[in-house]
Amino acid sequence: MSQQIEIAPALPIPAFLVGEVQSKLAYVDENIAAARLSAQGEVITLTLRRPVEGPDRQALEAKVQRVVQAMVAGAFKPKVQVLEDYSDRPVPYRGDPNAGLLERGEMFQEAAGIFTLGPLVSRLIAFFEAQFVALADSFGAAPYRFPTLIPARFLERVHYFRAFPHSLTFVTHLREDLDVIDDFAQHAACGEDGLNAPPESFAPIQTLLSPAVCYHLYFSLADRPLPGGSLAATAVGNCFRYESLNLASLERMWNFTMREVIFVGPKDFVLQNRETGRQRMRDFFEQIGLAYHVESANDPFFIGEFKKQAAFQSAFQLKFEIRARLPFKDSTLAVGSYNYHQDFFGRALNITLPDGSPVHTGCIAFGLERMAYAFLAQYGLETAAWPEAVRKAVA
Amino acid sequence: MENVELLENVRALLAEAFSLPKEEIPPDLAFGGVKQWDSMGHMGVMLLLEERFGVPIDAEVIAALTSVPAICEYLSKTGDKA
Repeated sequence: MSQQIEIAPALPIPAFLVGEVQSKLAYVDENIAAARLSAQGEVITLTLRRPVEGPDRQALEAKVQRVVQAMVAGAFKPKVQVLEDYSDRPVPYRGDPNAGLLERGEMFQEAAGIFTLGPLVSRLIAFFEAQFVALADSFGAAPYRFPTLIPARFLERVHYFRAFPHSLTFVTHLREDLDVIDDFAQHAACGEDGLNAPPESFAPIQTLLSPAVCYHLYFSLADRPLPGGSLAATAVGNCFRYESLNLASLERMWNFTMREVIFVGPKDFVLQNRETGRQRMRDFFEQIGLAYHVESANDPFFIGEFKKQAAFQSAFQLKFEIRARLPFKDSTLAVGSYNYHQDFFGRALNITLPDGSPVHTGCIAFGLERMAYAFLAQYGLETAAWPEAVRKAVA
Repeated sequence: MENVELLENVRALLAEAFSLPKEEIPPDLAFGGVKQWDSMGHMGVMLLLEERFGVPIDAEVIAALTSVPAICEYLSKTGDKA
């Protein structure tokens, strides 16, 4: 039997933090089935899988207040900068695309956050992919192929564990031990709580599923001068970010695909290309009639790092998101981003310019499934209503 | 507060924020000049400035105060309360 409890935050939660705090409540306790923070930030409502009272409830509430304290106390209000606003661009569809996608077999959920996509959506994604590759080509970006796995020691070196521990996806395998493997082969079964194999059957974790595309390029350049002094590169890859209760449809997937155009070199090279890329994408979005805006944003840092890192990103305008309108829910969805990392990766990975200073890096990233989903939310699944450029390419 | 005294206070604050001896904070130190002055280190400095000097810190200030001279200038203009 579930239970619903209400908690008053120990500190008033300002409007600009309501979404961020709510998303982090998913990670407070495994007993939480749903978490909601009121729009004014004065009431936290938790739906629990099983009732708790007494000391257990006090411990749960204490953990919730830890999140509030860590994220709200001393938080700096971000400066929101809007670079483009075409959110009023007229679009013909206002329905929820999810039901249609399911009915037509265009979207099949294998598990939370894991989806198989059908022919129409796949063709639509291929169309967007072609446009993003054309963008990469316009910079003469060199093509790369990166693995889906990423060594733990790589992510440690760029402090990823500290910044995003909640979203990591770990990879392991059975230990090289005949008894362990035989035992697994004979007894492995999936129950309510997942695979029943004992944890000691598995090897220590050396590898994770990659959370981003561009990291692989930076690691390949580590500990040496950057050949040629600057580099434009591009790659597409599977990315994995565990989002717990926040996983939702194609909007927030555990396993998704990103195309990135990556710049490595002097500061001006990176910033100028990021800006040029934004202007070129603006023309493309106009061509397909996408309703969207571009505004400053921050990455979803975990609780301990959030306050400082988010304020830093905002102050230095390091990240701008392309937020497409979702008319059916009167909200927006980030379908891509323009990112500048300053010399963070250059310093952390010892990648240097000819003068010995650390390189600067940046990337333009597109979430392919999100891009298709946002388009379908604005134009529906009937291709007759689609802009001609898209309809012809997908047909 | 005299300029020299202000400079010494700022150097001491940065030394505290970065867990370094004050001697390793030169008067012209800027963001990235020591490895501790990275994004997290910078925000630690901003929080300390707000706490110790009582000055307002917002996005513009965070982006502007990237060197010892810039911090000193901001504090002298804002009216430090150290």
